[in-house]
Amino acid sequence: MGSLTISNVTKTFGSTEVLKGINIDIADGEFLILVGPSGCGKSTLMNTIAGLEEVTTGQLLLAGEDVTERSPKDRDIAMVFQSYALYPTMNVARNISFGLEMRGVPKQERDQRVQEVSTLLQINHLLDRKPSQLSGGQRQRVAMGRALARSPRVYLFDEPLSNLDAKLRVEMRTEIKKLHKRLGTTIVYVTHDQIEAMTLADRIAVMKDGVVQQLGTPNEIYDNPANQFVAGFMGSPPMNFVPCEVNSDGSLAIDTSGHSLSLTIPQSSTLKAQNISRVILGLRPEMLTEPKPERAGDSVMALEMDFDVTEPMGADTIAIGEWNGIEILARLSPEAGLRAGKSTPVQVDLSKVVLFDPESGERIR
Amino acid sequence: MGNSNMSIGRYAIYACLMIFAVLYLMPLYVMITTSLKDIEEIRQGNLLSLPAAPTLYAWAKAWGSACTGSECEGLAPFFFNSIRIVVPAVLISTLIGALNGYVLAKWRFRGSEFLFAALLFGCFIPFQVILLPMARLLATFGLANTVTGLVLVHVIYGVAFTTLFFRNFYVSVPTELVKAAQLDGANFFQIFRHIFLPISLPIFTVTIIWQFTQIWNDFLFGVVYSGQGTQPITVALNNLVNTSVGGKEYNVDMAAALIAALPTLVVYVLAGKYFVRGLTAGAVKG
Ligand SMILES: Nc1ncnc2c1ncn2[C@@H]1O[C@H](COP(=O)(O)OP(=O)(O)OP(=O)(O)O)[C@@H](O)[C@H]1O
Ligand SMILES: [Mg+2]
Repeated sequence: MGSLTISNVTKTFGSTEVLKGINIDIADGEFLILVGPSGCGKSTLMNTIAGLEEVTTGQLLLAGEDVTERSPKDRDIAMVFQSYALYPTMNVARNISFGLEMRGVPKQERDQRVQEVSTLLQINHLLDRKPSQLSGGQRQRVAMGRALARSPRVYLFDEPLSNLDAKLRVEMRTEIKKLHKRLGTTIVYVTHDQIEAMTLADRIAVMKDGVVQQLGTPNEIYDNPANQFVAGFMGSPPMNFVPCEVNSDGSLAIDTSGHSLSLTIPQSSTLKAQNISRVILGLRPEMLTEPKPERAGDSVMALEMDFDVTEPMGADTIAIGEWNGIEILARLSPEAGLRAGKSTPVQVDLSKVVLFDPESGERIR
Repeated sequence: MGNSNMSIGRYAIYACLMIFAVLYLMPLYVMITTSLKDIEEIRQGNLLSLPAAPTLYAWAKAWGSACTGSECEGLAPFFFNSIRIVVPAVLISTLIGALNGYVLAKWRFRGSEFLFAALLFGCFIPFQVILLPMARLLATFGLANTVTGLVLVHVIYGVAFTTLFFRNFYVSVPTELVKAAQLDGANFFQIFRHIFLPISLPIFTVTIIWQFTQIWNDFLFGVVYSGQGTQPITVALNNLVNTSVGGKEYNVDMAAALIAALPTLVVYVLAGKYFVRGLTAGAVKG
């Protein structure tokens, strides 16, 4: 019903190629999140899906029908813009019902729909106000109301929460998630916020320079990044990247606070077999912690580290040390964080380390 | 210490402003008082003195019976000629300008920037340059010496300005509004009507005042392209002042000049505050 297929879509403005062959299959009812650095083409992709920009080459299928050539209004897609784009001279009720009015829905039905939508979003009491008389969060709701009014087949959200303060953002995030559960409509959602991406998405597409780097569930993206870019982009604080020499037995040579260590990791046999001599080790901060006897096992190794700086974050403390001359972040409990300093005992869990090729940044599996 | 210095400075500024205000208002004062005097008093009296026995004789004559060349029907018929020229010319040029501005600001197409530059160029073409070609054109269309012809000339000449005004106003409207309305299913004209028109009051005011003043005060096109019975008031005023039957009646000349100037003054007084507001109106804040 609301499945969306983006097939080999490219888009050029003048001589710059902004989208370089995008392929994404979105199932009916799926919540897909697009992330990527500024300027990578997220909004452009959204605009081409909506029909506000024509694709240069490629195809868009909505519920199996080719809509590449259709005008925006015939695509049955609604969009929430980052700036909300509420009509300044219309009151909230008319903002919500304008799309229905333009489609010739009778007045009575429109009013009823406005009531339903405004009840759902809890903006009934605002219906007579102009957008300029609303707070940021209220405007955001109205913008969503406008999209919800028509029950389209696909919703596009282009950074809908980025203008809100942190607290409101968390609230609205939850509401959007509930709304999606309730409506079950396909959503494509752009964000800069990784927590938003991790919490909302069924699947995440990470984009860079007009190319999809990886498309997968939040866990796949987090635990199994396709390359160093994806690994570094998702996660906060970000993954540690440590360039290492590979010893002849396939273990990694690490030098920290004057000790030399050999880390034997799950990939060691592959490294040995393939005769790889240098790699970049990717290690999430939460894999480097104070010693936790209950988590001891084959892949857990104890060591001592010097920490120069600690940053208490409340639930845990980020401690900054050094491996092979590179800054490395550890995630300690607040108590352990207080004791962190010279020669602090820590443990590293190597079960989830990832390796990248130093030249290409591609994953070594 | 600063306080007394500052107030002295203040007074100096106010005094200076007063002097200039008086200087600027002096001619208007002379015109009004002279128009209310009778011709005897003007011959004998002081230019600056108040009328001893104010009379509307000069106004009545300027309006209804003064001679403008061979006829002696005053300015009244020409006043209505001007209205018949100005009203359609202002409305048509403003509406075309609004649509042009909307397209150039929000529906860019290949070459639209060039078109806009060319239109801007139109603002700088001196009147004299187009006199002859326009005369040819009007003759070809059979519009020479007609009100329609004059309306056409003013519309053509005015569109460059009105387009510029509207385009610059509309570029500050967020393009996402257009996108949102497109997704809501509105077409080109519906977007103009429901989204753009309602926010356009300031720029309409500016454009209408501008166009009204320009066209009402126009003399050159009026004198060149009008004929018997279609002359605008500016041309008639000139004829009235230059026609002397017996002695020169300064009071009638002054009254006639005031009558000719009155509509633009009235328009400015009524809508002036929107004019200033419209000139400085920036982005439309949501
Ligand atoms: N109309 C246009 N003409 C020319 N270049 C454009 C146009 N629109 C976008 N671009 C370019 O395309 C690239 C991608 O833009 P886009 O807005 O899609 O980025 P984005 O990923 O949404 O970034 P952000 O996260 O900052 O919103 C940018 O380099 C931008 O300059
Ligand atoms: Mg964007």
